[in-house]
Amino acid sequence: MRILLIEPDYVLAETYFKALAAAGHRLVVCAGAQSAVLAADQHKPDLVILELQLVEHSGIEFLYEFRSYPEWQNIPVLLHTVVPLAEFNTSWELLEHELGVRRYLYKPHTRLSELIEQVAQFTPVASETP
Amino acid sequence: MQRQPAALAPFLSEQLLLSVAEELKLPLTQIARKAEQLRLTGETDLSAIQTTADNALKLLDSYILGVQLRLQPEQLAPESVSVASVLYDTGQQLDALAKSYGVALELSVTGRFGPVLAHRRGLQAALVSLGASLIEALPAQENPQLKLQLATHRCRYGIVAGLYSETPSLTNQALQRGRQLAGRSRQPLVNLTHTNGAGVFVADTILRAMNLRLRTSRHHRLYGLGAVMQPNYQMQLI
Repeated sequence: MRILLIEPDYVLAETYFKALAAAGHRLVVCAGAQSAVLAADQHKPDLVILELQLVEHSGIEFLYEFRSYPEWQNIPVLLHTVVPLAEFNTSWELLEHELGVRRYLYKPHTRLSELIEQVAQFTPVASETP
Repeated sequence: MQRQPAALAPFLSEQLLLSVAEELKLPLTQIARKAEQLRLTGETDLSAIQTTADNALKLLDSYILGVQLRLQPEQLAPESVSVASVLYDTGQQLDALAKSYGVALELSVTGRFGPVLAHRRGLQAALVSLGASLIEALPAQENPQLKLQLATHRCRYGIVAGLYSETPSLTNQALQRGRQLAGRSRQPLVNLTHTNGAGVFVADTILRAMNLRLRTSRHHRLYGLGAVMQPNYQMQLI
C-alpha cells in the first residue's frame, strides 16, 4: 500500500518509516501540511497517517485542504496523534463525518505492531473501485 | 515592591511542570517505539535510545534547576563567565541530539569578548534546554534548513549568547504569545515547533531567575533566541 505519513518528529518518522516499510508498504514522509498536499498530488497515496500537531498549519487545516479535492475524497485517513481523544470533545464528529477520519490512534500508547495491524485493515483505493 | 520568589515559584512551576510533563512524552514515545523496533529486527545498537534518554534527563535537570533558582535565589552567586566557553560546552552537550535529528551544529565566536557576570551553570542549562528544543523543531519546518548556530556578538545592551537558524518565525511577537500560552495550549509556539516548546520556557525560567531575559535576536542573517548579559568590566581591567 502507498502511505503518506505526516509526522513532524524526525526521529519518530524514521522509526515508523522503517517499521511500515518492513511490513511491505511504500511510504512518503512529510513533516508539514503544505509539503503533504504536494506529496499527495505526486504520489497518489492509498492511506494517509496524520499527526494533528504540525508546525504552522495544523493537521485539521491539512484535512480541509485535502478533502477539498474530489480525487482525494475517499482516501482513508488514520489519525495517529499525541492529542488525546478526550480533548476533541465535539470536534471528533466533525473529523469523522465531515473530514473522513476513519480511525484514531493515540501515539504514545500505540505500539508499532498495533500500527502495522491497523494499517493492514485498510484496502488500497485502486482495488476498491471496480 | 519587594520580590517574593518563594510565593511566585509554585504558580510558575505548575504551568512549567505541565509543559515539561507533556514534552517528556516525546522522548518516552521515541524510546518505547525504538526499543520495539530493535526487538522486532534483532538490532543491538542502543545508541539512539541512549541519546534520547540523556536529552530527556537534561530537560528534567534544567527544569529542576529553574525551579530551585526561583525558590532559592541565594544560590545565584554570579561569577565571571566566558561566553565562548559556555557556548562550546553547550555545543558538546547538544552534539549527539543534533546528529540524531540530522541538524548541523556550528559555533560562531568571532571577535574578542571579555567575560560576563552570570551564573555559569544556569546559563549553560538554559542554552542546552533552548538548543534541544530548537533542534527538535528544525526538521519539522515546512522548508527545513537543518543548521543551528551557537553564537555570540555584542549589541547595544551588552553581550548576546544565543542559538540561531534560518527560521524567520522566531519573532518577538511569537515569543510573547508563547509565554502567555505556555502550559495552557498544546502548541504555544505553533510557528516554531510541533511540540509544546517546554525547553524554550524552561530556558526562559532559568534566565528570569538570573535576572536575564530570553530575547529574539539576529546574528548576521540568522534568526534566534538568546540572553543578553553585561560585560564584567572589572575582570577586563586585570
